[in-house]
Amino acid sequence: MEDNVPIIELKGISKNFGGVVQALDNVSIKVYKNEVVGVVGENGAGKSTLMKILAGVFPPDSGEWYYAGHKLPFPRNPKEAAKRGVAIVHQEKGVIPVLRVYQYLFLGHEDKYSEFSRLKINEMKKYADEILKEFNIDCDVESFMYELPPSTQKMIEIAKAVLSLRLEYGSDNAAPVVILDEPTAPLTIEERQDLFNYILEMKKAASFILVSHIMHEVLEFTDRIYVLRDGELVAHYNLLQDKITENDLFKAIVGKEFIEELPITQTERTIGDEVVLVAKNLTKNGSYYDVSFELRKGECIGIFGPAGSGKSEIIKTIAGILDFDKGVLMVKGKEAKSGELPHVRLKKGVGYFCGRTEEQLFFNWPIRKNVSIVNMRKVLRKHFPVINFDAEKQVAEGIMQKFRIKAPSIDTSCQSLSGGNKQKLSVGRWFERRPDILLLEDPTIGIDVGAREDIYEALLEMKDEGVSMILVSDDPKEYSILCDKIVFMKSGKAEKVLNAFEFKEAIAT
Amino acid sequence: MNNSKKKHKTLLTVTRTIWNYPPLLMTIVLFIVFSILFPDRFLTPINFSSILGQFVTLILFALGPSMVVTTGSLDLSYIGVWMLGGILVWRFTPLLGMAAILVIPLLGLVTGILVGIIQVKAKVPSFILTLSVSAGYAGLTSVLSGGYPRVVRGYEFLTAKLIPYVPTALLWTIPLIVVAVFIMRSTKVGAYFYAIGSNEEGARLAGIDVDRYKILAFTMSGLLTGIGSIIQFQHLGGSVPLTLNMNTLIQPLTAIVFGGTLLTGGSGGPDRTIIGALAFAVLYRGLYISLINPEILQLLIGLVLVLSIVIASRGLKGVTIT
Repeated sequence: MEDNVPIIELKGISKNFGGVVQALDNVSIKVYKNEVVGVVGENGAGKSTLMKILAGVFPPDSGEWYYAGHKLPFPRNPKEAAKRGVAIVHQEKGVIPVLRVYQYLFLGHEDKYSEFSRLKINEMKKYADEILKEFNIDCDVESFMYELPPSTQKMIEIAKAVLSLRLEYGSDNAAPVVILDEPTAPLTIEERQDLFNYILEMKKAASFILVSHIMHEVLEFTDRIYVLRDGELVAHYNLLQDKITENDLFKAIVGKEFIEELPITQTERTIGDEVVLVAKNLTKNGSYYDVSFELRKGECIGIFGPAGSGKSEIIKTIAGILDFDKGVLMVKGKEAKSGELPHVRLKKGVGYFCGRTEEQLFFNWPIRKNVSIVNMRKVLRKHFPVINFDAEKQVAEGIMQKFRIKAPSIDTSCQSLSGGNKQKLSVGRWFERRPDILLLEDPTIGIDVGAREDIYEALLEMKDEGVSMILVSDDPKEYSILCDKIVFMKSGKAEKVLNAFEFKEAIAT
Repeated sequence: MNNSKKKHKTLLTVTRTIWNYPPLLMTIVLFIVFSILFPDRFLTPINFSSILGQFVTLILFALGPSMVVTTGSLDLSYIGVWMLGGILVWRFTPLLGMAAILVIPLLGLVTGILVGIIQVKAKVPSFILTLSVSAGYAGLTSVLSGGYPRVVRGYEFLTAKLIPYVPTALLWTIPLIVVAVFIMRSTKVGAYFYAIGSNEEGARLAGIDVDRYKILAFTMSGLLTGIGSIIQFQHLGGSVPLTLNMNTLIQPLTAIVFGGTLLTGGSGGPDRTIIGALAFAVLYRGLYISLINPEILQLLIGLVLVLSIVIASRGLKGVTIT
């Protein structure tokens, strides 16, 4: 930060989608040379919209762009953004596993190293080697991308972004800005550390904007943090001056009023003694370690923690989507082995519901079919495995009424439903099915308040009727509404088990 | 008053059917166009009979595979099953007598199971896998035949004339069509097939044993092709060619795509393939009697396939399964 003029400054950015959603409202950010800036916020807070504007995916409705103090028009496409020195490293995709390291580094810039369309491979290798040395990446330029550990792949991806900015400029002196969108998402806990050491190292060559959910990482590795909430810039911390804790940041992200308003509904209940699911010292290397809990009939356990704490991996393990390395998982007194698929777990009584409807629903199908695929037993005739269309209709109509799904008929294609209605349909299928244990992952992600309440109501009703649940979510409110017990996770380990009151206290202080 | 309301309702049903099955409209349009262009050649009983004959050939090959296509895979092993099955019948007739014909459905069943297991376990693209099976079977056919086309006699009764101008094979085909459509529309198995093609991950999360149902799809396809090939064998003259014919391979595929079944899976199915096969048969015969050069005819068929594959892989607007 020797230079007081920011290399990139955005002023008063507003963006509105379709007149309904104000994605960004008068947001201003600055990026100086050689620093790491954190951008945090909940899902839908406007982080990715802001990053897309920076990367030239689309222009904002209003606002100004300054480059080293000069006002410039907004870039209209990623190529133009690259010319101004901004590149983005996306969360997933990006790496092409079958290419060799040097091929991947120069992908898209081969024309700089070709002579009558013959590639000067030796020069490419030589320069790639220099780049790897400069950026301290320890690998062979000849190795294939897929042979490298994920953290190294990510490092090379970042190096590629810096390199391509240099090649676009044609000068090594420029100051590139690289946006890292959730760079640690696919990495294990150990690999994350490596990646951040590398980013700190790279600071001398570029500036970074780190978009992340993982608060301790943002606090530890950035110089300044911008907090977005509902499209507005609500806080800006300079970590060299301000001393802030993870909890301060958390409160800024979700809003202080919000925590005070946490409703507690689940403390008065008495729960039976029948244990339906036991996890004992469950371990998945690189994700979570030694997690133990007991789930009783009609109980809801929340697994709470920041993103990257292993909570999502635990629930996926129980669902049969991921396997585990050590420990014991018992479902209704019978051992559930690692590597069992979801259909086997479902037979044992474990259903998995995820709020990301595109993973769960069949979009090109009518509502009716979407319901019956999970409730085959209810819609088949008694003595012959043939679908009873009347029963199918009855079940689907029941769900539509119960959940107030707004659609012309049960034959309406699922695609045409709104996000909230899709979610209600997705919950409704499991509501009808009534598994003994229902796993909930982000059950109300991205939907409005009205739909949320309908879903909570249905889930509580199921709970009262003896369905046990395990919840994983990014929304603390959900835990206090639904859970009887909350397992606190941190860096892959279960720290403590709290009830709803203690939970509220724990996150408010 | 009441009558006009009823009339209105019928009209609505007809429009809706045509809207849901665009190829039906195409068939009607093609039919009218060819009738106007070549009234003396197209509008003849013999031509109609040929259209039906062509239809039978297409549908018998395409019926099973169109079930596999709904799961998002592709089954091109039908030609192989038909060829190898045919020559096996010739080989086994001296041994087993009339029962030798049952070798074909058995071969279809075994092929289906094997292809299914290999596809699921080894995760190879079904297109290449089943094409290789067909190529391999064709080679085996030519080895087993000793290099000459072999005619098997004794099964002529299967296609003996019953109704003038209606190929008897068509009558045998109807129950197969009914079974295939029934399985896909009214049973759990059919629903699971569509689910896998529509959203494989979603199907897995809904608790469906995806691998098992994929194998089942290939198995049922193989069995249907095998049973169909008994009729096909006789329908096409009681003998089989010794080399793999590209047209026989491509045309049933065209019929499936023509019917509006998306190659990406999740929609369509045997009911659409019926219409696709009919549309294709009308188009083919119409072009055939227009007396254009046979090579040009091939080119046109190729273009039509490319066009319909483009449409089918991008999805037709308004095409949903019901």
